[in-house]
Amino acid sequence: MNAVVALCHFCELHGPRIIFSTQAYHNDPAPSLKDGESPMGPFRRRTATIGSTSSGGSERSVGGASGGQRTDLCEACRSIQPGHSGFISHDHDVGISYTSTQSPTQPQIFTMVKQACIRSLSCEVCPGREGPIFFGDEYHGYTLSYTFFVKDSQSRGFQRWYSIIVVMMDRMFLLNSWPFLTSNIHFIIQRIQAQALSIYEKEQAIKSQRAERINRQLHAPQNFYLRRGGTQALRSLLDLTGNKQLFRYLHMMFSWILMAGGSRLTERILEGPPNEEAFLDFASEEGEMCFLVCLTFPLLETEEGFIKVTKKELDSGKAPTEDENIEAEVNYDDGGPTFRSLSHFRNVIGSLNFHDLAYHIVTGNQVIVRSQYKSTLKSVFDVLKTLLPANIGTTIVFSNKYEESFKCNFLGLSLDTNIPDFVSSSELYMALDIIPKEQRPTDHTKVLVESQDPFHGYGIAIRSSATVPDKVPTFQSRVEQMLDNTSLDETVTSTFLLAIKQEWMNKVKMLFKFTRAGYHTEEETNKLLKILQAEKQDEPLLKYWKMGLSSQYKSHLLTESMGLAST
Amino acid sequence: MSLPDDGGIVGSYGVVGSFPKDFDYGPDDHDMENGTVPPDNRPRILLMGLRRSGKSSIQKVVFHKMSPNETLFLESTNKIVKSDVNSTSFVQFQIWDFPGQIDFFDSTFDSETIFGGCGALVFVIDAQDDYMDALVRLNMTVSRAFKVNPNIKFEVFIHKVDGLSDDHKIETQRDIHQRATDDLADAGLEGVHLSFYLTSIYDHSIFEAFSKVVQKLVPQLGTLENLLDILISNSCIEKAFLFDVDSKIYIATDSSPVDMQSYELCCDMIDVVIDVSCIYGLKEDGEGTAYDAESSSVIRLNNGTILYLKEVNRYLALVCILREDSFDRQGLIDYNFLCFKKAIEEVFEVRQKTVIGSNGGGQRLSTDSFGSPKTNGAVAAKS
Repeated sequence: MNAVVALCHFCELHGPRIIFSTQAYHNDPAPSLKDGESPMGPFRRRTATIGSTSSGGSERSVGGASGGQRTDLCEACRSIQPGHSGFISHDHDVGISYTSTQSPTQPQIFTMVKQACIRSLSCEVCPGREGPIFFGDEYHGYTLSYTFFVKDSQSRGFQRWYSIIVVMMDRMFLLNSWPFLTSNIHFIIQRIQAQALSIYEKEQAIKSQRAERINRQLHAPQNFYLRRGGTQALRSLLDLTGNKQLFRYLHMMFSWILMAGGSRLTERILEGPPNEEAFLDFASEEGEMCFLVCLTFPLLETEEGFIKVTKKELDSGKAPTEDENIEAEVNYDDGGPTFRSLSHFRNVIGSLNFHDLAYHIVTGNQVIVRSQYKSTLKSVFDVLKTLLPANIGTTIVFSNKYEESFKCNFLGLSLDTNIPDFVSSSELYMALDIIPKEQRPTDHTKVLVESQDPFHGYGIAIRSSATVPDKVPTFQSRVEQMLDNTSLDETVTSTFLLAIKQEWMNKVKMLFKFTRAGYHTEEETNKLLKILQAEKQDEPLLKYWKMGLSSQYKSHLLTESMGLAST
Repeated sequence: MSLPDDGGIVGSYGVVGSFPKDFDYGPDDHDMENGTVPPDNRPRILLMGLRRSGKSSIQKVVFHKMSPNETLFLESTNKIVKSDVNSTSFVQFQIWDFPGQIDFFDSTFDSETIFGGCGALVFVIDAQDDYMDALVRLNMTVSRAFKVNPNIKFEVFIHKVDGLSDDHKIETQRDIHQRATDDLADAGLEGVHLSFYLTSIYDHSIFEAFSKVVQKLVPQLGTLENLLDILISNSCIEKAFLFDVDSKIYIATDSSPVDMQSYELCCDMIDVVIDVSCIYGLKEDGEGTAYDAESSSVIRLNNGTILYLKEVNRYLALVCILREDSFDRQGLIDYNFLCFKKAIEEVFEVRQKTVIGSNGGGQRLSTDSFGSPKTNGAVAAKS
């Protein structure tokens, strides 16, 4: 995320100050490549991008607003002790480094953040005083500021003002990240406040500052200079929270916010409105982000004063489903014949068989395929799945025993695995055996293909006790019509499938919305089906495909229809 | 760096206007009817000074009735805190309480908007501290503010003098006065006039000082003083104050010198009247106000002096000090008072009348009180 995250404080002596700021830098590849083989493994040091302590100091004074700032830092507005430059962590996969320093080193950024800091603490009013607000303009950048109190028994009013600000130039991006940023910043703040509160209560239990102050006032000694001189050295946030690792923790959290915030929203070019599949992609990305939260960052100190934060390999962060997919691609390559496309598949098994099979698939019955080659099974399922919208139709590519139909729609078995009787007698399944040459398929099962086809000599046997109705869903008949046309090539076929699936998904959505909007008589439902150009025979398909709607979409629809109902 | 170009500070949303002007609330029609000035155009009193010098405490004690001891627990002010004071349509101003830590002459802030429409700048100096830093800041503040707006009245409160002996007070005031004017002369600003006050929130000095500050912002002050002079000479009154009841600052008095003790007496009298009528003056359901058109009170002191309080309008009260024998002709005094009240209404004229006429607040209250005589806030105390 191209932003600066900073912690600001209204210092009792100096007014609004930046205490701690975290920024992302894109690595300059040239110098960092050399020490890539350092013993630190992939986490290498970088010296080029960030200036040393001294140059940082000189740059800062250029920074405008308050020139001699560095010299008069008090305990309360210092985060990083002299001698340290800050914290740094690297994300080597994308070549970005996250650095935390007292305040931004580049003059322009410093000016922007300083301005945002002053506004956040001393100008803008948040209702309820604590909470997130947004302000900014094109010139100074846009800021999301979350102000909060930290308890301090020694300060005036027993509390001190802090704020966490996120400054960036992109207003849309910042506002779209609002829920993500506020919830995460709120989490950090809660933690700081809880720690400070326990310290505060401990101190108050020992000596009540309230009583102390009244006493001091009443028995004020004649030496009245005491009253003002009595202010102790202002304590830093480390003391207030009793957490010596606080700034490391903040560095970790701020870096994570920058990293996660960046990958949370990506721009893509949409052709037309987003379809169901795109929504599902978004949803799964969001899921992965959550997974990253659990990463831990062990800390190591390096000699230049930076504290190095290393992180565990990201590989463990991959969602388990993805692992399966990868495995599937790698392991199933056992030399068996494969299907290239839907029309190839249809050629091999014959159009009549395909007709029956396709009916079972689009209405959600179980399809069992038995073959000795896992690669064959895989290709069968890949091809058949193109008949269904993205997220319906679960697959078990290969299993040693029969799996129930509620577990999977597509099941791959070896030829010698038996199908239980209760399944064979049920109407809701279909079995397809791919018999290899060695087993000498009988004549009527033999596939009729040219000799160079990988399935030449193989046999196909189909078993099903179900009867396919005369009228199949319109979707299926249109797909078959299209497949009958031999002059169409691969891309046309797949585009056609995509379009027709989208068309029917839209009908499913409409129907879903309709049924959720309240009770309807059969007549009304029929009317709607008529409008949707759906016939009686389409109903099983529509019913099955409802499962394919993303949960996000469903909940969105429900809230919307509830809103309509209440008005 | 300068402010977004919206021409002024909007509402009370801080110095760097967070809202474009269009987003602000529209002009309050009700307020306009009442003849009040929209908040932006009211004269401002700026409270400035080093941190911990007592700015917020002054503001809280004078205008928010905070007990002085409670000010020990105020947190430090982190932004400009604005509060409106609406006594009448002629005493209206805003108090801006500044955080001492921030330099508002910095280019980050638009000093034009801050000091442009300002009426008075009160600079608070902590007399219990080493005041050298404060004097440097005072000089800087005055010279810069004067550059922006030469019409600002500069007032210096030498504050927290409750801990100082009388000699020490005088000495401190003399020293600060000397140094501040010398510094100004060095800066080539001989023409700038500074007024000095010794103040403390633990006694009435802060109210007195603030009264003087406010009086300078009342353009009709001369007329008011004249009216008061006529009133007291014709009614054998020794001293008369026109008080703002809420804050207990007086917006005018007659031309005889103000004795601190008599001012304190009058302040305390207002407290007594308001307190008693809060307890006994409200209706059973808690409705009504503690101070209304029928409010008046007579307190006889044992030294032959009488304190006499009469309501002038919703926010103002006339408090007089007179000899007991002059009070024999109370009818005459009341008649004179009526004339005085009419004259005041004429001075501040028309709009004030329309307030009462249009929303009928004042009249309705008085008819109510005729209905139930025991409820009204008239108090006669003897001592």
